[in-house]
Amino acid sequence: MCRPPVTDALRRRAGLVLVATLLGAAAPADSPVAVPEPAGYWDGALQGYTPKTLAGATVIDAEALEALIGAGNTLLIDVSESDPTPRDLAPGRLWRPIHRAIPDSIWLPGAGSGTLSAQDAAALAERIETLTQGDRTRPVVTYCHPDCWGSWNLGKRLVTLGYRSVHWFPAGIEGWQEKHDTGAIRPDAAWTRALKTGGGP
Amino acid sequence: MRMSHRAFAALAGLLLTGLAASGAARAAAGDDVAEREARWKDLRQSLFGDRAVETAKPLVRMDLPDRANDAALVPLTMTMTDKDRIKGLYLVIDDNPAPLAAHFTFGPAADPEELKLRIRVNTYSNIHAVAETQDGALIQTTQFVKASGGCSAPMGMTDDEAMKGMGDMRLKFAAPASGATDSGKPIAATLMIRHPNFTGLQMNQVSREYTPARYINRISVTYGTQNVFVMEGDISISANPVINFALRPAGKGPVTVVTQDNQGGRWERSFDVPAASH
Repeated sequence: MCRPPVTDALRRRAGLVLVATLLGAAAPADSPVAVPEPAGYWDGALQGYTPKTLAGATVIDAEALEALIGAGNTLLIDVSESDPTPRDLAPGRLWRPIHRAIPDSIWLPGAGSGTLSAQDAAALAERIETLTQGDRTRPVVTYCHPDCWGSWNLGKRLVTLGYRSVHWFPAGIEGWQEKHDTGAIRPDAAWTRALKTGGGP
Repeated sequence: MRMSHRAFAALAGLLLTGLAASGAARAAAGDDVAEREARWKDLRQSLFGDRAVETAKPLVRMDLPDRANDAALVPLTMTMTDKDRIKGLYLVIDDNPAPLAAHFTFGPAADPEELKLRIRVNTYSNIHAVAETQDGALIQTTQFVKASGGCSAPMGMTDDEAMKGMGDMRLKFAAPASGATDSGKPIAATLMIRHPNFTGLQMNQVSREYTPARYINRISVTYGTQNVFVMEGDISISANPVINFALRPAGKGPVTVVTQDNQGGRWERSFDVPAASH
């Protein structure tokens, strides 16, 4: 729900308008600049223009995602950040954050980090292993918001882990909600526990 | 007879298939609608407890773009029918983290026919305007808005720049139309307040830390000794708030605006009302 930061604030304001326009086409957010795939994970600001490709994975649009969901057995992973909780909430102030995503997704906030500790990376690999029941051929879709490196990073991580049907959906929640319903989801409890014990990304 | 039976069966089959398909589509949409309704029920109970919130004969009409270009600056116009019955107004953006965007309480100097302001919308959401009548009834209006990311969008400048001149206020009165000598007409006014209204969800681009929430939590407007309105606000009001409202023309004295924020900021300024040309 809360978007990760941008590398350039001014671009972000313009980006909002740009993204809103682009979403009409429900296409992967087009970058005005050609962004090459980094050699490893992207460890800069998670919000920013992303590559058009992800080696070893398939880049999909909302229509392709709809087909994948229709086929069943597809694991959807949302790596959006969760909203920061106010440090001191005024008494009586209504604070009720909600995260709307593609229905039946697993929400793994922080899993898109490019700088996960070895311990957290292992916990993430284990969590995905459980979620896919060890089936490396199971279709997996990673997403967050438009212009989000987090879902690119996780897609790359899955490819590296040997998953063979990895799909990256760069249009993210905004691209999906154009034409489809969203559902409120909570962070995956097992992943949140693992991050807590591991000290967080 | 057999043929017609078969034709009937085929037709029924087609119909059933069609029904099943549309039924499935509806079920999916229904989940979303049911979920949003459950969210509202929860918020409604937090805000109003067991008080009934009526849906029939709404007193407020909301006008806002179906799809906002900038989710941090969504223009909203609320038009009140039967304005004399209205004592207050709650504006709730259901899916914002702080859903209660504003609570207006109108005083005797207000002409609450129309109210305009700009809001932040965090995700596709229902917006509820709940009017509270003089006799204590609550009546809701609902509108869906498509906008996303409004609470976390940075302001495109440093925090210091965003806070420059914080608390500066201007009040502009609509120039009376030439020849309009009807002194009974409400006086339209536009209040502009310089304030970043930081949400606490905006990340500083350089430090990569969240800018602490600093938002206007109360604006009071008086005309002479009479209240125009008090607005209790939160982070869903856009940065540098602009509020359009109207005064009853019978008042005397200056219009005084007092703005307060959650960090203890307090600003006060008085404005002279232009003499009616009658």
